[in-house]
Order: sequence, then structure tokens, then C-alpha cells
Amino acid sequence: MKSRYIIRIVYSVVKFALSVIVLSVLVFTISRLAPGDPLYAYYGERVEKMSMEEQEQAREKLGLGESIPTQYVRWFQGAIHGDFGISYKYKMDVKEVIAERIGNTFFLGGLGFALIFALSLFIGLFCAWREDKIADRVICGIGTLTSCIPEFWMSLLLILVFAVWLKWLPSSGAYSVGKERSLTDRTAHLILPLIVVVLGHLWYYAFQVRNRLLEEVREDYVLLARMKGLSGKRVLCRHCLRNVLPSYFSMMAIAFPHILGGTYVVETVFSYPGIGTLAYESARYQDYNLLMLVSLLTGTLVIFCNILAQWINACIDPRIGAGRESRQGEVGSL
Amino acid sequence: MKKKFPVFSLLILMIIVIGCFGCGLFLTKDPRYMDLAHFDTAPNKEFLFGTDSMGRDIFSMIWYGGRISLLIGFLATLLSTFLAVLVGSAAGYAPAWADGILMRATELILSVPSLLLTIFLQAAAGKANRYSLAVVIGLTSWMGMAKVVRTEILQLKNTEYVLAAKCLGGGFFHLLWRHLVPGLVPSILFMVVMNVKNAMAAEATLSFMGLGLPVEEISWGSMLSLSENAFLTHAWWSVLIPGLFLVGTIFCLTNLGNYMRKSINKRHSNL
Repeated sequence: MKSRYIIRIVYSVVKFALSVIVLSVLVFTISRLAPGDPLYAYYGERVEKMSMEEQEQAREKLGLGESIPTQYVRWFQGAIHGDFGISYKYKMDVKEVIAERIGNTFFLGGLGFALIFALSLFIGLFCAWREDKIADRVICGIGTLTSCIPEFWMSLLLILVFAVWLKWLPSSGAYSVGKERSLTDRTAHLILPLIVVVLGHLWYYAFQVRNRLLEEVREDYVLLARMKGLSGKRVLCRHCLRNVLPSYFSMMAIAFPHILGGTYVVETVFSYPGIGTLAYESARYQDYNLLMLVSLLTGTLVIFCNILAQWINACIDPRIGAGRESRQGEVGSL
Repeated sequence: MKKKFPVFSLLILMIIVIGCFGCGLFLTKDPRYMDLAHFDTAPNKEFLFGTDSMGRDIFSMIWYGGRISLLIGFLATLLSTFLAVLVGSAAGYAPAWADGILMRATELILSVPSLLLTIFLQAAAGKANRYSLAVVIGLTSWMGMAKVVRTEILQLKNTEYVLAAKCLGGGFFHLLWRHLVPGLVPSILFMVVMNVKNAMAAEATLSFMGLGLPVEEISWGSMLSLSENAFLTHAWWSVLIPGLFLVGTIFCLTNLGNYMRKSINKRHSNL
């Protein structure tokens, strides 16, 4: 038994490492093949005033003169030693650029994830309990409508109402200038982006919980439990929920990077200083080193969570094992 | 419990589609004409939905630009469905090792945040126009459906009628188009409709972020990309109206899609 577990762990680690390496090659190649000049990110408008020789020298200095495979090998050698190069735009170590902002993203995404996790379970349970009654129908209706609103437009709407018309909440940033340490100020800046993050993802997961529970309450054991005299609510919470939870956990493992990635658009609309705005900037302005680390971070997280989800599945239901089937987490576009 | 057919959704959707494609018949203003004397005008009798910050008539732009939004939704879905069926059925039909490789590749593409993927592709395609944008959105949205197709094919390929067709000498593509795809339709029809709505939302999001269509090429997304200015001038109509049309269309599509979804709750609840 023990050796089987070791084999499985080794297999997972190898799969993880391979995926990350392939991902880095992919991002590296595509970003360099894409048109656009990284010199603009470094020197700004001054590039136009530089002579051809000066441009060549600058390229040489940034290590952009060689072929793509050579560049990749050099990048890879640096990367295993923890050196990811400098950001062309910010002119400092990319790790520092990211370290400044990753906390903001994890705060927004993590808080959003926690809320989605709790709320979707609660809403799913409630709707399954009141199946086809008025409350269920109203909630489902609201959910369908909300999930039809693109995140950026929901953000615009909230800004319009709460920041422009009512002037209750700030419309952008993570804090006001000079109030970096104030908790109330940070909270005020967090409310609107958080609402969009939660509402943008909540319904998909809530409906999943509801649908699985509805399948579950049609099983025969429910009839037996009812016959024993258990109340409907108790059967739902004690028996049905327990059968749904495993698949819910593995679904939420996949959902974590998805929700974190979903903050990209929200961050951009609210000019929230996080990884999302950074990824957007670095891809637009060819800030290669920064782009590499940002995509690797998010990609690694996704791959890790996928493997984690498979593990959760395998631990709970040994029949799945290391089989071919992996539970799908449907990732809507953007 | 039988699902009700969403009559209203279909009706509204038809009005929007017909209005957009037949807009040449009833539009009195040129949607591209910038009337600089009347910029940021609130809705009135002359400009039913007001004008935007460049002085263009929003009522005309809605119908005129809707064509581009719908077109992109349709084309992108066509491409992504084609890719999904191709990759998914190849993976489901192939031996296990090839299936493994294809599915790992699909998961790998899924693991690149789709926004980044879109930015890459968009940069590679050069200056964006409606077709390049549709291709980019199509290329980034087939993975989820491909997984569903694969699962279905895994079940379908062991059925007797497929075996019979195989014994009669049918090749892969013959089997695919004549026997497997028809079997797939009920399970992916819902996803196809959802893809149309996702593609339309993606077009709007990308254009809004300045990665999609330029302001001159009118679509619902590019109209919304001017909304940052609108906050300064309190021109709420140029934010609300294109968005309402977009959300309305997406909502109707969702209702239609949900109707087509395989019904799971045929039996009565035991609770």
C-alpha cells in the first residue's frame, strides 16, 4: 500500500514540474513572437530619438539580441537560482514589483473566495430545500439575471451608483493617498470590487450545489430516512449534503485560481493595484520578465489546484484513483 | 415537470436581431457622424438615447453596432464549437496515451489565464478588426466544451450502432459526422448557446479594456469603452443603454440555453 502512495506522489510531482516547464516555454515563445518592442517599456518615448546603433546596444544590454532558445536557456538558468530578471518598466527586480502587489490580489481574491465558498453552499442548500417554491424561484431568477451581467459592466454600474451619484464609496485604488494604514479607508475601497468578484462567480457554484443536491434528494435512502421520521431539513443537512461535499471541495479547489484570475478585469476597472493590472500592463507593453513571472505564478497555482482537486477526489473515492477522469471545472471565458 | 418554452426571451431576441440587421430601413441618422455641436446630449426627441462624448447618436449606434456584437458572438462560437468537437472527439476516440496528451494540452491552455491568452493572440494578429477578434475569442473558448465532447464520445463509441458502422468499414470522419456528432447535439446544444453569450460578453470586455475593437468600429463593447469619460460628464445614458442591450441579449440567450439543457429532475423529490 505504502509504495503505491509514493509512486502516486512522485507521479504528481513529475506531472506538476513538467506542466510548469511546458507552460514557461509556451509563454516565453509566444510573448517574444508577438509584435511590439520591449525597448519602449524600458526607455519610453526616448527610443524614437535613439540611433540604430544605440538601439542595438540597448537590446544587447537587456539580453534581447540572441535567438529565442538561447534567451530561454539563459532565463531558465537564472530562474532556478531565483533570479527572474528586472522589470523593464519599473526598473527593479520583478520579484519586488510583484511582492508589492500580490498581497492586494490575495486579499481581494481570498476574501472573495471565502465569501463565495460559504454563500454558494448556503444558497444551494436553501434553494434545494425550498425546491420550486416561491423563494427558490426568486433566488434562481435573480441568480440567472446577475450571472448575465459582464463583470466590467457591473463594476461600471456600481461606480455610477455608489461613487458618482451617491458619493458613498471611492471609485478606484486600494487606499487614499496618506491613509495607507487606515483600515476603514481600505475597507471602503474594497467593498465595490469585492461585490463584483463575489457576484460574478457566486451563482455558477450555487447552482452546481443546488443541482447536485436535487439529484441527491431523489435517491432511495432519502425515502428511508424520511420513513424513519427524520425531518426533511435534517435529511438534507445530515445525509444529502454529506454526499455532495466531496465533489464540492474538489470543485472549489479548481475554483480558487479561477476566482483569483477573475479579479483581473475587476482590478483593471477599479485601478486596484494588484497582479491583474500588472499582468495586463506587462502583456501590453512587452515587459517580458514581469510577464513571465506573473503568468508562471498564476499558471502554477492553476496546475497545483488541479492536482489538488484530483487528490481530494482520489482520497474520498478510491475508485477514481489515478484514472483518466478528472473532474472538469468549466472555466467561462474571462 | 415540463419546462416552459421561453416565449418572451425568443421574442425580445428576435426583435434585437431583426432590428440590428434591418437597421438600414429605419435609421434616420448616420451612426458614424460626429455631431460636435451636440456631444453628451441627454436623451430627447431628436436623439432618442442621447449622444456620446463624440457627438454620435446612440440610438443609431445601438442597432448599427449590435450587428458587429452579434456577428462576433456567432463567428466565435462557430469556431470554438468546431475546435471543441474536433479535439474532444479525437481525444475520446484515440487510444489512451493520445487521449492523455490531448487532454493535458487542453488543461495547459486552460491554465493560462484567458485574458493573457487573448492579449497574446490579439498582439499576434496585429490591428484588431471584427474578424480577428472573433477568431481570438473562438480560439480561447473551446476548451471547456472539448472536455464535455470527449466524455460523451467515450460513452458513444461503445454503443452498438457505432460498432456496427465501424464494422461496415466507416472511417473516423464518416463516423464522426454521421453517427457521433448527431449523438452529441443534445448534450452540447446548451453549451453552444452559452458560448454565444460568453463570446458577446468577451467582445464587450475586451473592447472596453482597449484590447478589442477601436472606438471607430462601432459595437456594444466599443461604445462602452467611452464610459470612463462619461463618469466625468455624468452622461449615464452612454453607460447604461449599450449595457442594457448587451445584458438583455445575454439574458434571453441564457433562458433559451437553459430550456435546451438536458432536464435532470424528471423524477419526483423524495424529500
